[in-house]
Amino acid sequence: MKKTIMVLLIVSLFILAVGCSKENQAPEQPKTTFPERPLEFVACYAPGGGHDVMLRTMAKILADEGIVDTAINVVNKPGGSGAVGMGYVNGHAGDGHYLMATTSSFITTPLNSDIGINYKDFTPIARLGIDPELVLVNSKSGYQTLDDILKSDKPINVGGTGQGTIEHLVTVRLSKLSGKKLNFIPYQGDGEVIAALMGNQIDMTITNPNTAYDYIKSGDFRALAISTTERIDLMADVPTFRELGYDITLSLFRGVAAPKDIPEEAKAYYVDIIKKMVETETWKKDYLEKNMITPGYLEGEEYAKYLDEMNQIYEETLRELGIIK
Amino acid sequence: MESLQGLAIGFKEIFSMYNMLVIFAGSMIGTVVGALPGLGPSAGIALMLPLTFSMPVNSALCLLVGVYMGTMYGGRITSILINTPGDAPAIMTAIDGYPLMIQGKGGLALGISAFSSFAGGFFGLLVLVFGAPVVTRIAVNFGPHEYFMLMVMGLCTISLLAGKSILKAIFMSLFGFLIGMIGSDYVSGFVRFAFTPELIEGVDFVAIIIGLYGIGEVLINIEKSVRLDLGKPAFKIKEFIPTKKDIAATSMPTLRGSVIGTLIGILPGAGGTIATFLSYAVEKKISKHPEKFGNGALEGVAAPEGANNASVPGALIPLVTLGIPGSGGTAIMLGALIMYGLRPGPLLMVESGNIVWAMIAGLIIANIMLLFSNILLIPVFINIIRLVQKYLSPIVAALCVLGAYSLNYGLFNVWVILVFGIIGYFMKKLQYPSGPLILSVVLAPLTENYFRQSLMISHGNYGAFFARPVSLGIFIVIVGAVAASIISKLMKKSKKQALAK
Repeated sequence: MKKTIMVLLIVSLFILAVGCSKENQAPEQPKTTFPERPLEFVACYAPGGGHDVMLRTMAKILADEGIVDTAINVVNKPGGSGAVGMGYVNGHAGDGHYLMATTSSFITTPLNSDIGINYKDFTPIARLGIDPELVLVNSKSGYQTLDDILKSDKPINVGGTGQGTIEHLVTVRLSKLSGKKLNFIPYQGDGEVIAALMGNQIDMTITNPNTAYDYIKSGDFRALAISTTERIDLMADVPTFRELGYDITLSLFRGVAAPKDIPEEAKAYYVDIIKKMVETETWKKDYLEKNMITPGYLEGEEYAKYLDEMNQIYEETLRELGIIK
Repeated sequence: MESLQGLAIGFKEIFSMYNMLVIFAGSMIGTVVGALPGLGPSAGIALMLPLTFSMPVNSALCLLVGVYMGTMYGGRITSILINTPGDAPAIMTAIDGYPLMIQGKGGLALGISAFSSFAGGFFGLLVLVFGAPVVTRIAVNFGPHEYFMLMVMGLCTISLLAGKSILKAIFMSLFGFLIGMIGSDYVSGFVRFAFTPELIEGVDFVAIIIGLYGIGEVLINIEKSVRLDLGKPAFKIKEFIPTKKDIAATSMPTLRGSVIGTLIGILPGAGGTIATFLSYAVEKKISKHPEKFGNGALEGVAAPEGANNASVPGALIPLVTLGIPGSGGTAIMLGALIMYGLRPGPLLMVESGNIVWAMIAGLIIANIMLLFSNILLIPVFINIIRLVQKYLSPIVAALCVLGAYSLNYGLFNVWVILVFGIIGYFMKKLQYPSGPLILSVVLAPLTENYFRQSLMISHGNYGAFFARPVSLGIFIVIVGAVAASIISKLMKKSKKQALAK
């Protein structure tokens, strides 16, 4: 008897847990004023990650500057390289109270795996900035310019985070344009790449200014090229790829998107508040400068067009690399 | 001397009643979070992070390191009391801790492990304070080749966790390899066997241990109730404080565990979990009575606990000197530092040295507070278990479901623990060892990736594994250890035959 009760208890616990699922929520009634209740900003990565930092800074500025008077909750839906968060937001299609951070995984995760949704299943709101890519070498190596590497007789090992990432794409483009064979070694995360370059396990790496800046300042690393169209203020002595004769302008993007089929009113609301936000001094100081993001504001349709372009570039390169068929 | 001056400044920075309270609160929260199955250091720090934004930076960091260290103390509690590791680095503690609990020596196991935890943390802190800049420069010379050899060494310890049948152990390891294959592979960019998006990052390793140990144990208990020998209700602290003899007997294992934990903790490519596996294996290998391991050997509790606490300051070393996180917990600390307006990197010590020293001072205070609070709390833990023993299974099941849900704030992992709970039940019934399974789930993906990175770097040349001195050195140790164990086995056999004649 006791055992039966215990079995029942345990089984009912599982049933209870399953019953708590959020999917059962009643659909929202169409209302006239937006927002009706607190907004939810969804980070597809864990606290402390790029998504999370951006959304929490946004929430703070929107509230502090008095742009939004509704409460904003930042929630984390980590997992599946962004797929879990995308699935969660897509589950609220038609509801404008959700806003999701987007980076390149917004495009690459659906391309790499069969998750049933892609970037087209969301309403693009705005691109907030871009994270350029830098060519970085160890200062103790003899390489002074990009051409020193590309004309070297030695085989060159390039470290970067993961196969099919923006770093990999830049490497592939550079190899194609220069004719020098570059051997791309995928690492897991920026930390491992930095450690590998520091310990001379690799010859060069492609990474973002934010990751690289202090190592350049401390004299450990040297930057040889950057993927922006013009030099950036922060590193005025680093030439662009274009100046050096290689047409590469690929950068990581940071933006926000809402679920699909949201009311026009909600869309206009987001565009309006974000436009106000990017013009504030605190946004420039607390987000762009602090995280060394290059400004690159695009809204609505323009952002959608940009996403189409990025999707095409990624898809072509991933196909060439044989990662997708 | 410079280090001592820095440390003095650090203590001065944080010396206030408020900060002491913050550290104490952090340590206690960490202990509880660590004890809950599924919630480990990463989850603990992540949960506390939003709370710290309104605090002064020094206090915020004190809170976070308190939580971080606290989880390492907390993980052992549920391992020993209910055979459900609170987090990954506490798995090894369950192997000998729970048998001790069944034998009525749960209080002793908790006491010994608290001392080992303290000693491990203390040792790691010494290295952090005095050797940080030097050891990081050495650690970055560890490339994929060296990491691969280290992983092979880890895999060799499977035989030590095998139990009676080596065939069953091999079967379990291969099963572990299979599970480890699921998910996206960053070296090739392919996503393997991900039937649902949740599997893109692989099966969550913590969900597997909650299922195998927690739910598996619950299912077994339904069938045959295990009555823990808890003795008479006792509230005398004296009975829970280990005797001088016990501490003396476990001092060397603790020291060895601390050294291994610190070293592995510093390496950005390995982590506390691997350190506990290795230190357990070392103790079993050099022990005069290896048959005791798995049946309640105090050394088997002391060494891994020393190792996992030593790995905390160890993992902070590359973080403060180079801005490279050495573990999941420090990866979130990295994010936290950025949010507080600091710039983790090679200049952190130069530009914000006082804050870093304040953080280290906070860690030292947390370690001392945790030792005392954990010893004092042992009677509470034991008596709680005594009170709820009748209803232990449903409580454990509830904690497991809660822990699984909290991994990604979704239901997917609840199903994962159910599946692995059933697998764990049959493994126990049919006497398949769980150690090799866990070990290969952790190590297989790392081994594979480091192997492929190595070959990519050396352009397909296998000779590179033996051309690099450190990698060759680890290889020689592996060959030596395997050869030694084969020879000793053969000698025992011939001795037996001689005796039989």
